[in-house]
Amino acid sequence: MQSRKPGLYSCSAGFRFFEWRYYYMHLAAHTKRDLILFSAPFLLVYMAFLVFPVVYGIYLSFFDWNILSGKVFVGFRNFVQAFSDEKFKSSFFHTLQFVALSTPILIVVGFLMALISVRPTKLGKTAESIFFLPYMFSTTVVGTLWAWLLQKNFGLVNQLLQAIGLKGVGWLTDPNIAMLSIVMATLWWTAGFNMILFSAGMKQIPDEIYESARLDGAGKFVTLTRITIPLLKDTTLLVVILQIIASFKVFGQVYVMTGGGPYGTTRVLVQYVYETGFNYFKLGYASAMSMILFFVILVISAAQLLSSKDEGQ
Amino acid sequence: MKKILLSIVVAVLIALWLIPLLWLIITSLKLENDVVTDHLTLFSASPTFKNYIKAMTTTPIKQWLLNSFFVASVTTVLTLFLDSTMAFVLSRMRFRGRKALYLFVLAGMMAPFESMIIQLYLEFNTFKLLNTLAAVIIPRLALPVGVFILTQFFNGIPTALEEAAYIDGASRFKVFTSVILPLGKSAMFAVAILSFIGSWNDFLWPLISISNSAKYTVTVGIANFQGTHGTEYALIMAGAVIASIPQILIFLFFRKNIVQGIAMTGIKG
Repeated sequence: MQSRKPGLYSCSAGFRFFEWRYYYMHLAAHTKRDLILFSAPFLLVYMAFLVFPVVYGIYLSFFDWNILSGKVFVGFRNFVQAFSDEKFKSSFFHTLQFVALSTPILIVVGFLMALISVRPTKLGKTAESIFFLPYMFSTTVVGTLWAWLLQKNFGLVNQLLQAIGLKGVGWLTDPNIAMLSIVMATLWWTAGFNMILFSAGMKQIPDEIYESARLDGAGKFVTLTRITIPLLKDTTLLVVILQIIASFKVFGQVYVMTGGGPYGTTRVLVQYVYETGFNYFKLGYASAMSMILFFVILVISAAQLLSSKDEGQ
Repeated sequence: MKKILLSIVVAVLIALWLIPLLWLIITSLKLENDVVTDHLTLFSASPTFKNYIKAMTTTPIKQWLLNSFFVASVTTVLTLFLDSTMAFVLSRMRFRGRKALYLFVLAGMMAPFESMIIQLYLEFNTFKLLNTLAAVIIPRLALPVGVFILTQFFNGIPTALEEAAYIDGASRFKVFTSVILPLGKSAMFAVAILSFIGSWNDFLWPLISISNSAKYTVTVGIANFQGTHGTEYALIMAGAVIASIPQILIFLFFRKNIVQGIAMTGIKG
């Protein structure tokens, strides 16, 4: 994040001293005004709708506040309650489950896609488009599409399974499989995003390195494991962190595909916050839970920031 | 042999990604009776646009599309305004605390929207803005990642041009509008597309802030479709296609800018 100095200091014009002084004076007279005029619009909205909600959320999480009762300060009791609340614990567990199941496969498939799509051939370009297009769709379109593909009786997947003599699977109704189905839909939806990040990283690797590896007689596999993967270390770290964060925030697909079912086996954290807040109107408790989510994501982001800082020094 | 194996992997991957897309369209062109049958058919005996016509005429999807279009356009324009002026300050002005301010803005990227729904709901309730499109638009306007992309990009624009403009007596506003913005066009474009798509696809917040179905965005509307049209899969798929037309068009015309925008968020400055 190297910042550039304004023209004033640029070395190219060091000798035009008088013009410079003029420039400096007429700008300097307005610096304060310009600073306020240019930054106020963003900062006002930012403070009101991003910073304030965070602070307000921390505040609310210390209160017991149902729609009927008034606000009652309860200290940390909401947090204590959360960790003895079976529904919270299971929602948290399902979220972790989703993170654990989705992250590795989304990274590997995204990486494979990048390997295919960076090739400057027509196939590479076409493949890139096909892999990326689903990412453009909204979560509800993806959810409804996959709910249909995985529909028990008439969905494409079960029909194909039956066509080759296998039994249909209750993709969205079997408690052991429903979460996997959501992972599948998510994989189809967002792997293309990881592909773009990976291929952007791959394009930054200088051709000469590959060239010299080829001259040294390195095969494709060796090139991949000895050059591409090690040199993509930073990119991979970034993709992993972004993926973990995105997976922690999972909600839309679940809402559309299973509604948290069967028997609450796919209910995730965001959904439980939503239900607690807007179905049961326990605003303080819901805030406390969303602060737990906030904290988890903050820690992961901070870990990424710290590790990338170490790299830079 | 190895080459064949590799080609198979590539072909399978492409097929797996292509088939759901095709099935979406194929289903939407079938009659409901041909969809819900035991024997799989690739195409209806007579492909039909009936589902599309039905979706457009008997459901509020047209209204939802208009709502989404309004929300996404206004969000994009205002986001560009807010983010570019902020990025100009961070990239071009020198003052004490600039670095701290930049970090303060970037920190916003770490705050998940999902953890703010209760607070935002209460806030908009206080403003009496719930159930309006303004409520859907406002929380998305100050987009920290947009400031990040634009600041990085502006930092890369040489200062020689604006230097000349300043010497001619131009104000900062003039330099911003006639030097920085034109030169930063590609980054502005990337931010615009990210903002538009993000807004169009947003689900959780519109779901919470809008309760009147006439004011749904199309993303919320489609989720609602499933509830109201249960097993009319052909109709639902037609609705899903209609709801995705803007994204598909954007994708066809601006694929490069989208990819660039995503890559910009990934490549650290």
